[in-house]
Amino acid sequence: MSDSPDNLESLRKAFYDGLAAVQTEAALKALQDTFLSRKSGRLTEQMKTLGSLPPEARREFGSRVNTLKAEIETAIEERRRALSESRPPEGAVDVTLPGRVAPIGHVHPLMRVRQQVEDIFSRMGYEILEGPEVEDDYHNFEALNMPPDHPARDMQDTLYLAAPIVGRTWGAHRAPVAGHVPEAQVRAATLLRTHTSAMQIRYMKTFPPPVRIIVPGRVYRRDNLDLTHTPMFQQFEGLVVGEGITMADLKGTFEAMLTALFGQVKVRLRPSFFPYTEPSAEVDISCHSCGGSGCSVCKQTGWLEILGSGMVHPALFEAVGYDPEKVTGFAFGLGLERIAMLKYGVDNIRLFYENDVRFLEQFPAS
Amino acid sequence: MKIPLSWLREFVDVPGTAEQIAATMSVRGFAVEGIEPLGEDDACIDFEVTGNRPDCLSVAGIAREVATAYGLQVRRPVVGGSSLALTSLKSVEHGDIDIAIDNQDLCPRYAGAVADVTVGPSPDWMQARLQAAGVRPISNIVDITNYVLLELGQPMHAFDLTRLGGGEIRVRTARPGETLRTLDGQMRSLKPEMLVIADAERAVAVAGVMGGADSEVTADTSTIVLESAYFAPLSVRRTSKALGLKTEASVRFERGTDPRLPVTAMERACALLELTRAGAARGTVVDRYPLRREPVVLRLRRERVAGLLGVSVPDADIRRILESLGFALRDADTPSTSLGAGGWDVTVPTRRVDVLREVDLIEEVARHYGFDRIPVTFPALTTAPPPMDPRITQARTLRSIMTGAGFSEAMTFGFVAESAAMPFAPSDDLVPIANPLSETFAVLRPSILPGLVGAVAHNRRREQRDVRLFEIGARFSRSRGERRALACAWTGSVGGHHWGGGTRDVDHFDMQGVVERLYQALRIGAQLEPCREPWLVPGRAAAVVSDGTRLGSLGQLAPSLVEQHGVSASDAIFVAELDLDSLPLVDSDLQVEPLPRHPSVTRDISILVADTLAAATVRRTIRDHAPEILVRVSEFDRYQGKGVPDGQISLSLRLTFRASDRTLTDGEVQAAVDAVLAGLKTQHSAVQR
Repeated sequence: MSDSPDNLESLRKAFYDGLAAVQTEAALKALQDTFLSRKSGRLTEQMKTLGSLPPEARREFGSRVNTLKAEIETAIEERRRALSESRPPEGAVDVTLPGRVAPIGHVHPLMRVRQQVEDIFSRMGYEILEGPEVEDDYHNFEALNMPPDHPARDMQDTLYLAAPIVGRTWGAHRAPVAGHVPEAQVRAATLLRTHTSAMQIRYMKTFPPPVRIIVPGRVYRRDNLDLTHTPMFQQFEGLVVGEGITMADLKGTFEAMLTALFGQVKVRLRPSFFPYTEPSAEVDISCHSCGGSGCSVCKQTGWLEILGSGMVHPALFEAVGYDPEKVTGFAFGLGLERIAMLKYGVDNIRLFYENDVRFLEQFPAS
Repeated sequence: MKIPLSWLREFVDVPGTAEQIAATMSVRGFAVEGIEPLGEDDACIDFEVTGNRPDCLSVAGIAREVATAYGLQVRRPVVGGSSLALTSLKSVEHGDIDIAIDNQDLCPRYAGAVADVTVGPSPDWMQARLQAAGVRPISNIVDITNYVLLELGQPMHAFDLTRLGGGEIRVRTARPGETLRTLDGQMRSLKPEMLVIADAERAVAVAGVMGGADSEVTADTSTIVLESAYFAPLSVRRTSKALGLKTEASVRFERGTDPRLPVTAMERACALLELTRAGAARGTVVDRYPLRREPVVLRLRRERVAGLLGVSVPDADIRRILESLGFALRDADTPSTSLGAGGWDVTVPTRRVDVLREVDLIEEVARHYGFDRIPVTFPALTTAPPPMDPRITQARTLRSIMTGAGFSEAMTFGFVAESAAMPFAPSDDLVPIANPLSETFAVLRPSILPGLVGAVAHNRRREQRDVRLFEIGARFSRSRGERRALACAWTGSVGGHHWGGGTRDVDHFDMQGVVERLYQALRIGAQLEPCREPWLVPGRAAAVVSDGTRLGSLGQLAPSLVEQHGVSASDAIFVAELDLDSLPLVDSDLQVEPLPRHPSVTRDISILVADTLAAATVRRTIRDHAPEILVRVSEFDRYQGKGVPDGQISLSLRLTFRASDRTLTDGEVQAAVDAVLAGLKTQHSAVQR
């Protein structure tokens, strides 16, 4: 017999359990049939028992069955409406599948660093220019206060050309300046430049002060390939000349550049020696990896050597026809590889020149 | 320069640990490369001495810097001193040995003293110091000369007097064909420009570089001549380089020693002879000093110090720093306009070969005043910045077009192996490197392509099938010099692999499309023409030409070159290279055209022509025969096969007509199409389909 209220209550519970599991319209229809089918619905079955009840109970039980029936019908309708609203529209696609990605190329990490440096100096009003990669002895050494037999030449093991060639043109977009001999064209280059400093001389011989330039470019040394050396690498030369330029200006410029590149780092100048600057300074930044407390990146010193710099030696001004009593200036050179290695945690310089796409792809497209 | 701390402390009572001293000195211009503990309470500090400071290649020199950094006094060796004792020697013209200098410009000073000695090992403390400094102990006599070299910076040499012919010393240049067996056992051929020390008969030492084996001090030696001299830096440098012989002595002489030091060093060596019971000097020194060097006096202007450093260093600091380093200051009282706010006349010690002008004095002040005390300012902009170099702008544009086309930027070396360069330039146009590191880097690259294809191959060997790379950089040839170029290489599939399928391998027209995209983006009018290049597959090579100038070429890389790089010859690599110095740089007269106000009309035509006829020729014929209302011609189909006779192709073109001042009538357009078809028929016997 199924005349107890508990029976109806368990039926009700069974319905809602079933409803909770329904995900499709077909399942909903099946659930509806299970409970409401005119022939064999479980609620219909309950109704059929009505006749076997005593008259006084019939009325009350019938009313309860009808209430439950109405409740179930409403719940099914609600769910049916909800299911139909969530059904994908006609022609829907599975957006979780991958799209057709047109292959995107990546800018070389050294170029990425170079463009960042260019942008920093561009904002400070510097002119950016490229010079020839092949040079003559005068511009690469002699005019930079390194006459023949100068011991400093040993520090830069030079690659010489078997036959002289013409270097690339530079500065052709600038109007010539009266009183200055244009030295734009390298007529008979005999060596591969060992540093971008050669452009200091070419620029100053061509244009009068003030000077505020940045010269990025490739340079060459007779170095074997290893973890930290390549026979070709890339530098940035900077030169600022004018009246009243001081070493404090040099310091401010480096702090601006190095914090733009590395974030909040401390900058330290250490006395050093370069034939073409006086005073000369090595520039260190506090190790961005350990914050200055000492780690393997900075060899426990807390500092990282980042560039060489100094006040332009008066002998250079004399060589280019500037008056060292009137103008002063500062110059610096930094290696792009060194910056990129520190910035991106690259421990093998050869990665930059192997061009493995799995390496290149780790950098943003631009 | 490795210096035991205990040795340093004989000169200056510097407090603190080796690490603390290292930290102080590295911001004064002496970076420390390492510190090694020596026993319980000593350490050896390895100072990096820059090439301009030979005076600091000694304990005394570093001590002077340390004393200045710490504001301390430095002790000097004196007669009757304790650990830094000198033995007084009487200076004579003629003594126990005759000395003659033939080349006074190469040897301005030569001092010699004779001592009677007993050769044996030097005491342990001396050996320990030499070893800590990196010098091998040999015998008491040799060790004393090395000890003085390290302590005072004056190289010395000891000859066995009995083995000097005629008991005399002559400083002269080598005779033609003269040879000498040096202490390292090597027989050296001397050249006439090399300075030697000789006895009455033959050379016994290469001056300032190395002594000779024949006059070497041995266990049997009982009388020695000690040499303490000043040799001209350039002469020693050239000789050392020519002989390929670098010694502790030559390094110091070629950078410049102190011409005032030789006799002091001699007196120190003699004191050490006595101290170590190795012997005793006979009491005199023959000091030949024909070219006396007077100290340089430089004017230092107060204004100039502040003008260069950007900070006003107090007079007291300037004086304290310079005097502590051994400079003598006198207030410059000469009234002169150039002196401005006044200054000093500074006498430079002769050991300071690096201080030649005012700015060098300012560096000394700055070094010890402290770079950290220089303030932070910015250079003022006093003129408008010059225009941007259009070459840099152009390179940036090209870079963004190439990455947008899916090419990653590569950077390869500027030199390649000659075999890799060969197909890209005639061999007499290559620029070889005179002193290459290896065959791999023997010639400057005549093209970026060999390096770039090498990078493609590198990726192929690492499971990367789809590779697109480009590089912007210099290339070199004898005939054209250094020029900038852009090169790209493409292998593998056109798009990425996709679940929807539809990918295929790159072909000629994909690469051609990249090049066309480049010059369209730059708004350069260029055409493609068939060409032949030794590095490209024949019949699949195109030259890019603009206004009669050849900008570059593109096509499929010859299979032999693909194989040369270790990639299967059946793998297609498509390449292109454009000369950037031939591209126009600025869009100087860029003016926009008004947008059309009247509609255009299109007509499609299909013609049968010979399959050898170039599409460009057909296009030109159409343009030549059409009225000016024809604004555009584009191919939309090219078919060969069923329904088309052998040797012919069916070419379908879409013609677009438009007039700027009216809407075209059907009649006008039909007349234009008729004219085009008539022209095609007469020029190419084209049949309309």
